[in-house]
Amino acid sequence: MSLLSDDYTRRALLEVLLVGALCGIVGVHVVLRRLSFFTMAMTHATFPGVVLAAIVGIDLLLGSGLFGIVVVLGVTWLSSRSRSDSSAAVGVVLSAGFALGVALLSAHAGFTRDLSAYLVGSVLTVQPSDLVKTAIVLVVVLAVLASVGKELVFGAFDRGGLVALGYPARRLDLLLLLLVELAVVSSVPAVGTILAVALVVAPAATARLWCDRIGPMTAVAVGLGMASGVLGVLVSERAEVAAGAAIVLVACAFFAGSALLAPHTLTARAPVPEEAR
Amino acid sequence: MSLLVEPFASPFMARALAVALLLGVVGGVVSVFVVLRRLAFVSDTLTHTVFPGVVVGFLVAGTNGIVWGALAFAVLSVVLLTVLSTHARITEDASLAILLTGFFSVGVILVSRRPSYTADLTAFLFGRILTVDMRQIVVTAILGAVALLTLAALRKELVFRAFDPAGAAARGYPVVALDLALNLVVALVVVAAVRAVGTVLVIALLVVPGAAARLLSDRLAAIVVLAAAIGALGGWLGLAASYQASIEHGLRLASGATVVLALVALYGVAAAVGTVRSSARRRGRVTP
Amino acid sequence: MDGSEPALRFDHASLAYGRVRVVEEVDGVVRPGESVALIGPNGAGKSTLLRAVLGLVAVVGGRIEVLGRTPARARRDVAYIPQADTLDAEFPVTAGQVVLMGRYREVGWLRRPGARDRGIAAEALDAVGLADRAGDRFGTLSGGQRQRVLLARAIAQRPRLLLLDEPFNGVDAVSQDALLAALAKLRADGAAVVVSTHDLALAHLACDEVCLLNRHQVAFGPTEDILTPELLRAAYGGQALITDGAVVAH
Repeated sequence: MSLLSDDYTRRALLEVLLVGALCGIVGVHVVLRRLSFFTMAMTHATFPGVVLAAIVGIDLLLGSGLFGIVVVLGVTWLSSRSRSDSSAAVGVVLSAGFALGVALLSAHAGFTRDLSAYLVGSVLTVQPSDLVKTAIVLVVVLAVLASVGKELVFGAFDRGGLVALGYPARRLDLLLLLLVELAVVSSVPAVGTILAVALVVAPAATARLWCDRIGPMTAVAVGLGMASGVLGVLVSERAEVAAGAAIVLVACAFFAGSALLAPHTLTARAPVPEEAR
Repeated sequence: MSLLVEPFASPFMARALAVALLLGVVGGVVSVFVVLRRLAFVSDTLTHTVFPGVVVGFLVAGTNGIVWGALAFAVLSVVLLTVLSTHARITEDASLAILLTGFFSVGVILVSRRPSYTADLTAFLFGRILTVDMRQIVVTAILGAVALLTLAALRKELVFRAFDPAGAAARGYPVVALDLALNLVVALVVVAAVRAVGTVLVIALLVVPGAAARLLSDRLAAIVVLAAAIGALGGWLGLAASYQASIEHGLRLASGATVVLALVALYGVAAAVGTVRSSARRRGRVTP
Repeated sequence: MDGSEPALRFDHASLAYGRVRVVEEVDGVVRPGESVALIGPNGAGKSTLLRAVLGLVAVVGGRIEVLGRTPARARRDVAYIPQADTLDAEFPVTAGQVVLMGRYREVGWLRRPGARDRGIAAEALDAVGLADRAGDRFGTLSGGQRQRVLLARAIAQRPRLLLLDEPFNGVDAVSQDALLAALAKLRADGAAVVVSTHDLALAHLACDEVCLLNRHQVAFGPTEDILTPELLRAAYGGQALITDGAVVAH
C-alpha cells in the first residue's frame, strides 16, 4: 500500500500498535473493577501535567507521568475520605485538573496548535523517541502484570478474600492505578487526554462481550486495541480527519457492533478466572 | 472590594458577569440533584455527547445555530442514556465511557475537517464568555428558567425518588420518567453553558457547588441556597481574577478556567469548614 | 367499611420475571385487621411476592386481588415499608420530612403539602414514639428508629394494607416493641398487614396466619398450625436449624 511508504505513517502505525496493546491489557482490569469514571477523571487531571511538562520543557512522558502519580495518590485519598460517595469528589478533581491545564496553557502561550494535540492527539507527528518510550512502558507493564496479574484479578472479584490471604490489597489497587496512569500518559500523543479513556475501556469492554475467561478476554482486548489503532490511522489518512478521533470511533464501533451481535450481550456478569472452573 | 467591582465597568465584562451569575445559580441548584443522585458521571457523559451537536449546529447555521444543535443532541443523548440505564444488565460505567468518547470523537472529526480547527475546537470546548452578547444572555436565562421551573415543579417527587427509589416505585411514581426529566434538566444546563464556558468546563458547574454545599449543611433547603450562592460567587470571583491577572500581571488566563478554579477553591474552603463543623459536633456530643 | 371483602386474595397466583417463573401457586386470603407472616429462606420469592402485590411484578398464572381491585389500581391504599438499611444514611432529610413523603401521593403533582398533611405526618411520627426526633437527620437515628420512621411514613398514608419487608432485622428491643404496638393499632383500625420475616417468635406473637414460601407455597394457614417443625423443614429444604425461635442456617 502506498500509504506505508510514508515515514510519518509508518511511525504512527507502530505507535498505535504499541499503545493499542498497552491499553488493551490494562483495560481488562479497568473494566473488571469498574474504574471507567475514575480513569476519565485521571485523564482529565493528567492534562495539566502534560501542559506543565511542555511548558517547563521536560520530556512529556516523564513530566506528565510524575504529575500523574500525584493525581492518582490525590484521587485515591479523596475517595477514601469522602463519606458515602466518591463520584462527587472525583468530579471535583476532574474539573480542577482540567481547568488548571487550560489556565496554564492560556497563560503560557494562549491557545495554539498544541492544545488540540494534548486534547485529541496528533499521532502523525510521533517521533522515534516516542516509539521507544512507549515500547519501554509496554514492557514494564507486561512485566508487572505477569507477576501480579492473578492477584489483581482475584482482588477485583473478592477483595475481602485477598486481604484475608494476607495480600496488601490497597497497595495492589494503587499499583493498578499507576499502571492505568502509565497507559493513559502513553496514549496522549496518539489520542490525546480526552479520548485516552476510550482506548483503555472500549477494546476490553468489547472483549468482555465475546469472552467469558480472562485469558481470551485479554487477547481479544489487545487485538482490538491494535486493530482500532491501525484502522483509525488508515481511515484518517483516507478521509483527512483527525487520527485520534478516528481511532476512537473505530474502537467504539467495534463495541457497538458487538453489543448487538455478541452472545454475552451487555451483561454485568464478570468473566471467571481459570482457577475457579 | 474595588478589585471585585472595577473589572465589570465595561459592557463586555458586565455581560460576561451576567451570564456567569445566571449559570452559577442555575448550575448550582441543579448540581445539588446531581450530587444527591450520584449523577456526576452521567453529567460528564452529557457534556461530551452534546459536543458534536455544537459542531453540527455551527456548521449548519453559524454561531447562532450552536444552541439548537446542542439542544438536539442533548435530547438524543438523554434518551439514549435513560434507555441504556434501564437495561440494568449493562455495566454502566464502561458503556457511559464509550458513549461519551464515541460521540465526542464524532464532534472532533467534524471540526477537524475545517481549516480553523484549533480555534473552533477551543471555542466549543472552553467557551468564549467574554464575547457573549445580549441575545446569548437572554437564551441562557430562558434555558435556565425552564430548568429551574422544572425542578421546582417536580421537587418533592425528585427528592422522594432520590432518597427511596423502591418506595417511590411502590407508590406508583414513574421512576424512569422522573429520571428522564432530571437528565433533561442537566442537559439544559449544559446547553445553556455551552457558549459561555464550553462543554468541557460545565461539568464543574454541575458538580462542585452541590458538593461544596453538602459539606456545609445537612438540610436540603439550605444546601440548595448555598449551592446557588457558591455557583454565583465562583463565577464572580473567577471573572474578576481573570481580569486582574490580565490587567495587573499581563497574564492571560482563560476566563472559563478561572471560574472553575474559583469554584474548586470554594469547595476547598467548604471542606475545611465542614471538617471543623463535624469535629466540633463530635466534641459537643458528650452523652453520659 | 365493608368487613366481608378480603384485603388481599391470592388465587393460585404464579409470578415471573420475563420468562422465568420465580414463584408458583400462592393461594390464600388476608382479611381486614389480620396479619400474615411471609416466611421462607433467602431467594424464596418473599420480596417478589410483595412487589407483585404492588403491581410491580407480572402475574402469569392465577390472580392477585388487592382490596377487591387489581394491584395497580389499589396502590393508593397500600403502603410498602422497605428495610431501613437499604436507604442512604447520608441523605439530607429529617425524620419528619421522611414521614411527610407518605403524604406526597395524596397531595398530588405540583402541589405542596398543607397544614392538614403536616398534622397527619406529625401524628404518625408520634404513633411510633419518635415525635421528639422530627427535626433530626434520618441518618442520625439508630437502625430500629429508622425502621419506625418508615412505618410512620406508611401510617401517614392511611393505608388499608401494609407490606413490610423484613422489618425486624437488626432492630433493638425498644424499637421492636414500638413497631409491634403501632402495627397492632393499625390492625385494630381495620388495616391488614403482611410481614416477611425470619423471626418465628415474632410471627407467633404478632401474626394470625403464616404463608410458608420456597418458590412455591408450602402452606398457608393459622400460625399455630403452620409453624410446625415438619412444615418448616419442608419450606427450608430440610436443612433448617431452628434455635431460640428463629430460623438459622438454611
